[in-house]
Amino acid sequence: MSQGASILKSNRKNFLYGAGLAAFAVLPWTLGAYNQHVLIVCLFYTMMAASWNLIAGYTGQISFGHAAFAGIGAYVSGILAVKAGLNPWVGVAAGTVAAAFFGLLVGLLCLRMGGIYLSLTTLGFSEILHIIINNEYEITRGTMGLQVPGLTTSYSKISYFYIFLVGAVITLTIVYKLVHSNVGLNFRAVQNDERAASALGVDVVRTRLLAFTVSSALAGMAGALFGHYMMLITPHIPSLDQQFLVLSMTVIGGLGSFVGPVIGAFCLEILSEYIRAWGEYHVLVFGLVALVVARFAPKGLVGIYKAWRGKKRPETA
Amino acid sequence: MAREDDLKLVQGVGITKTFGGVQALSDVDFEVEKGTIVGLIGPNGAGKTTLFNIVAGAIAPSSGVVRFQGEDITGWSAYKVCRRGIARTFQVTRPFGEMTCLENVAVGVVNRQPGCRRSQWTVLAAECLEAVGLKDLAATEARHLNVVQKKKLEIARALATRPELLMLDEVLGGLNSQEIQEAVAFIQGLRDQRRLTILWIEHVMGAIMQATEKVIVLDQGKILTTGTPTEVVNDPRVIHAYLGD
Amino acid sequence: MFAIASMNGIVIGVIYALSALGVSLVVGIMNVVNFAHGEFYILAGYFSYLFATALGMNLVAAMTLAVAIVFVFGLLVEYTLIRPTYGDDLYSLILTFILSIVLQNAYLLIFGPYPNKPPGWVRGATDVFGLFMYGNQRLAALVAGTCVIVFVFAMIKLTWFGRIIRATSQDRGMAELNGVNTTRLNMLSFGLGCALAAAAGVILAPVFPVTPTAGVPVALTAFVVVVLGGMGSLRGCIVGGLALGLVENLGAAYLSTGYKHVFGFIILILVLAIRPSGLFGHKEA
Repeated sequence: MSQGASILKSNRKNFLYGAGLAAFAVLPWTLGAYNQHVLIVCLFYTMMAASWNLIAGYTGQISFGHAAFAGIGAYVSGILAVKAGLNPWVGVAAGTVAAAFFGLLVGLLCLRMGGIYLSLTTLGFSEILHIIINNEYEITRGTMGLQVPGLTTSYSKISYFYIFLVGAVITLTIVYKLVHSNVGLNFRAVQNDERAASALGVDVVRTRLLAFTVSSALAGMAGALFGHYMMLITPHIPSLDQQFLVLSMTVIGGLGSFVGPVIGAFCLEILSEYIRAWGEYHVLVFGLVALVVARFAPKGLVGIYKAWRGKKRPETA
Repeated sequence: MAREDDLKLVQGVGITKTFGGVQALSDVDFEVEKGTIVGLIGPNGAGKTTLFNIVAGAIAPSSGVVRFQGEDITGWSAYKVCRRGIARTFQVTRPFGEMTCLENVAVGVVNRQPGCRRSQWTVLAAECLEAVGLKDLAATEARHLNVVQKKKLEIARALATRPELLMLDEVLGGLNSQEIQEAVAFIQGLRDQRRLTILWIEHVMGAIMQATEKVIVLDQGKILTTGTPTEVVNDPRVIHAYLGD
Repeated sequence: MFAIASMNGIVIGVIYALSALGVSLVVGIMNVVNFAHGEFYILAGYFSYLFATALGMNLVAAMTLAVAIVFVFGLLVEYTLIRPTYGDDLYSLILTFILSIVLQNAYLLIFGPYPNKPPGWVRGATDVFGLFMYGNQRLAALVAGTCVIVFVFAMIKLTWFGRIIRATSQDRGMAELNGVNTTRLNMLSFGLGCALAAAAGVILAPVFPVTPTAGVPVALTAFVVVVLGGMGSLRGCIVGGLALGLVENLGAAYLSTGYKHVFGFIILILVLAIRPSGLFGHKEA
């Protein structure tokens, strides 16, 4: 389309996004405490899914340690707050840095080999963290959970909503900028064909390492925020169940797309709140849905939507 | 002596490669003079692509030395070799299927000029696409291209890295005679206008005869002979290698 | 203490090796890592419990039937889930991971969270080398595990099917050119991998409790053994399995029981850092 028309279209798109965001931002004022909590959890999962999508969807590395990095963020922040009396906000920053640090270490270890090795290493890392947390009861209070101070002086779900909204926006912005930068080109090149990428001058290991470290840092931030929101940090945060939820949300929403993780996070979290009434079935239901989607519609809901639109208007393929 | 060495853009000495029990290359010496088109021929399995892979850094030799502009680049990783100035294409094309042609080429551009802005690489990548005649397909995803277009894309991508040495691996496969003529003219243009040095694996002998100044013949991992196209084509040992007993 | 810990190490090591064989075969032939490996292991345990206890079947029959059912289930999974993803390693990872969680939750729903234990084959204990008394059931497990491993190696080295497996895992393209039906082979290998997991499952079920999530550490250990021994190397599985079993049990005896499973991970880290191709693996050409 012409220059003018496309500028107009993109302005209209930006306006719609802005309006949508504004509407969403005032939503919690209209809801009760329970639904406010659901929104906050949705935002938490958005941060987790979007950052997992960065390595899984955009660089093609399936990491099973994402929840573990969130756990590192949560526990580091919480422990510092409880044992050293650190301000929780500083704790969140510390947790993010700690997660980035471990992300770098794990990445250095397994990114040279990539693929299956990375998945196995991250899986093992996750399990090990779980064991350490349970064993070091003195520091982490194990399954009883570590009680930590909140981020605000007076507890208010609305303020936590805005904190998580900012967190989600930061996460999504970082992912967006990265993917649309020169580095993003490298990400996708490596994902498509790493031999060809290296023949064009792409340092494959460093590219993956960057994605992995950023992704872990973002998970750490999300975990730290969540820990202080719940004011109780348990080994459930860095658990494989959590990892599974994040993976399902991303896969069902659309692996490798930008909005996919957001859609997946919101849909699945809201859905699970309703299914929760049925008891323990909800993980099984998610799993089956995720299995079917992964098997028959690998690009998730976003992929289905795009295919549908492609059929309706073949000239804009 | 120094001047002579300056002329050698890339040089291999004693290159040997063993895979498990198989001796892919034995004591291969070769050199490519700057600003020339050199052909690399030999029957299937002779080790031509293996030699490419070693020079390009995709694999390391079991022993031997590779020098580029006098510098020892033996065992360097592929991406370092590319940044140093050697680009290569693959025998079976490897496009980034889910990226557009423009983006495919852009990968080459941005890794040559890391700080490059989108507005810049868009232009540079478009130029490379235009040079090979793919300008109209800039926004098409690479997986939708046909074989010939993919080969062109491969070359455009390699050119985007601004190489000094371009290594082509059987780029003429699947082209009709007119396309072959165009391709040969294009490759000669790369040497004449862009001052590229070209090392070219090819099975289409007509093109080798026409375009190259020197031909290296590999057979079963060893250098059989080196010479001008005419010398090589008339060499009974070369004929024997291709036709067997 | 050293003697008993070593004995435990060897017993569990043999079972680790057996379980890892299943993973290694599938990785070598199909380049697929079956994340649900542990769930196949546990499923066999559940079936053998069901048949032997609830249905009162003869023990040997119960175990054989359990392994057979899991084998068929493996074929089914390969056909419906894995086959369409062939070529894309990532999707099989995602799919088998999801499958693993689905199965764990399904077991929870169907069998409940409490541990089930099929009856032991033998009772009592034996005096080993005059050093200590050791449970007969565990000794039986050691013998059974070793027998299955020997059987598998014999099959691989001596039979025509084994030759096809070796050829295909070395060079798939070549095998196809020589007329091997690689699609069918994939299915059979995957089933075989699951059957080996199942064998390990029925052998150990009388010793360790069968719970919905007990398969997870089994799968993890199998993966560590495969990496330690070298991807695709069957010999590596044996050496790796025994090594891991010994390290874990000696470590637990002398250092710390709580961190028993961490030793495996430390080994994994060391292997990846020093020699990623494992003890017997091939370096990337």
